[in-house]
Amino acid sequence: MSSLKELQDLIQQKYGIDPATLDPNASMRGAGIDSLALVEFLFEVEDRFTVSLPDEYSNIDTLADLARVVDELRASATSQTA
Amino acid sequence: MTPVQVTGLGAMVPHGSDLQTLFAAIMRGDSAIHPVFPELARPAAAATVQDFDVARWFTRLQLAGVDRVSQLAVAAADLALRDGGDGAGAAPERMGIYVGCGMGGAAALDAAYRGGGRVPPLTIPAFMPNAAAGHIAMRLQAQGPVLTYSVACASSAVAIAEAAKAVQRGEVDVAIAGGSEALIVPGVVVAWQAMQTLAAFDAQAGARAAATCCRPFALDRSGFVLGEGAAFMVLESAPRARARGARVYANLAGWGLSNDATHLTKPDAAGQARALTQALRQAALTPAEVGYCNAHGTATPIGDVVESQALVRVWGDAIAELRVSSTKALHGHLLGAAGALEALITVLALHERKLPPNAHCDAPDPACGLNLVHEPDTAAPTLQAAVSSSFAFGGSNAALLFTRC
Repeated sequence: MSSLKELQDLIQQKYGIDPATLDPNASMRGAGIDSLALVEFLFEVEDRFTVSLPDEYSNIDTLADLARVVDELRASATSQTA
Repeated sequence: MTPVQVTGLGAMVPHGSDLQTLFAAIMRGDSAIHPVFPELARPAAAATVQDFDVARWFTRLQLAGVDRVSQLAVAAADLALRDGGDGAGAAPERMGIYVGCGMGGAAALDAAYRGGGRVPPLTIPAFMPNAAAGHIAMRLQAQGPVLTYSVACASSAVAIAEAAKAVQRGEVDVAIAGGSEALIVPGVVVAWQAMQTLAAFDAQAGARAAATCCRPFALDRSGFVLGEGAAFMVLESAPRARARGARVYANLAGWGLSNDATHLTKPDAAGQARALTQALRQAALTPAEVGYCNAHGTATPIGDVVESQALVRVWGDAIAELRVSSTKALHGHLLGAAGALEALITVLALHERKLPPNAHCDAPDPACGLNLVHEPDTAAPTLQAAVSSSFAFGGSNAALLFTRC
């Protein structure tokens, strides 16, 4: 299952951004989520999904890309515990 | 020297943000102090900003990494600029921001310590003491000097004095000067308790005991109460204010800065007197011409006596005519923002010709020997000049002297 919906819910809850106004394939920075807000958001994502985002993903720019990474990390965690 | 005038005021403080409402509350002697953190081992009280609607100034997205100290600062500075007529079109590069702040983002630091090893990534930009000034600059588009003064309890009085110098020298056309402090978090409250400077009160005796526990210049005083908030004023030259038809609250006629150079925390009458004397000299006023002093008055056993000695030393025979009150009894000690809030109250007192009471002082300490303002809403129909004092840990003293226009 994709994490996209959960991420959209989180971004709405945290920043009041309606998912309908944020194209998952568009730049989050372009939507006003600047570098500082994005760092804070990724920290929250780690807490919420109990994942640790490797440093190379700190320049993620779209919600769809972030959802794919979170999906992979969750799948990896699941396979390790299975 | 070019006269400097106060043409705008803004506050986000325990008594609110509407100037008339907060001044009326202070004049009535309403205390904003209440118990906080009942989980702490020792009873704690503070004056907090209760009705702050942060959404008026920040979207949730904009709040990323913005500590409460910066939120309050942006609100108060914005209100000051609006009150002053939006700076009457000052060019961005000709506008300066001068902010006093003692501690910076205490809530951010407290959260980092309490995070169990997970430290929020924006802790540093939220905590750094000059964050408030930076946020104000972005909000008001001030592109001139944007400076922070961390001089403990004198921070914002120093910031106002430094801003006045910049206006006088023509470095800026408009200065937004004041201070912000927001450190009502458990870790900081406990640290102040450990310093043995906070007022004691009986937690079982109800909210009234907390509200009245700060008693400046009283025989039974036992210390101060922490407060939070932000206050700012707009300063500009008299010719500029006149040219744009600005409403002028008062002249900032003189200021004095000094240091005791004796002890880090023990106050010194000679050092305080030097700051007061400098302010009088710059304003070309005799002590007898100054009718009101908004005292530093922290209600510590030693502090109030030393401050009284300094006032007696400077005012001499005229001391009996100087009306004195410390409004910290009502709004608490805002530390880095104390000088700004008390300067704002002093300016309004001068403008309205009314003196705020020195509350909760049923039995004045004869060792202080000051002509305290005991009654609420005291009229002062002949008041022409008033001084606001701020004395800090670190030995720094600041006096701001205002006159009527």
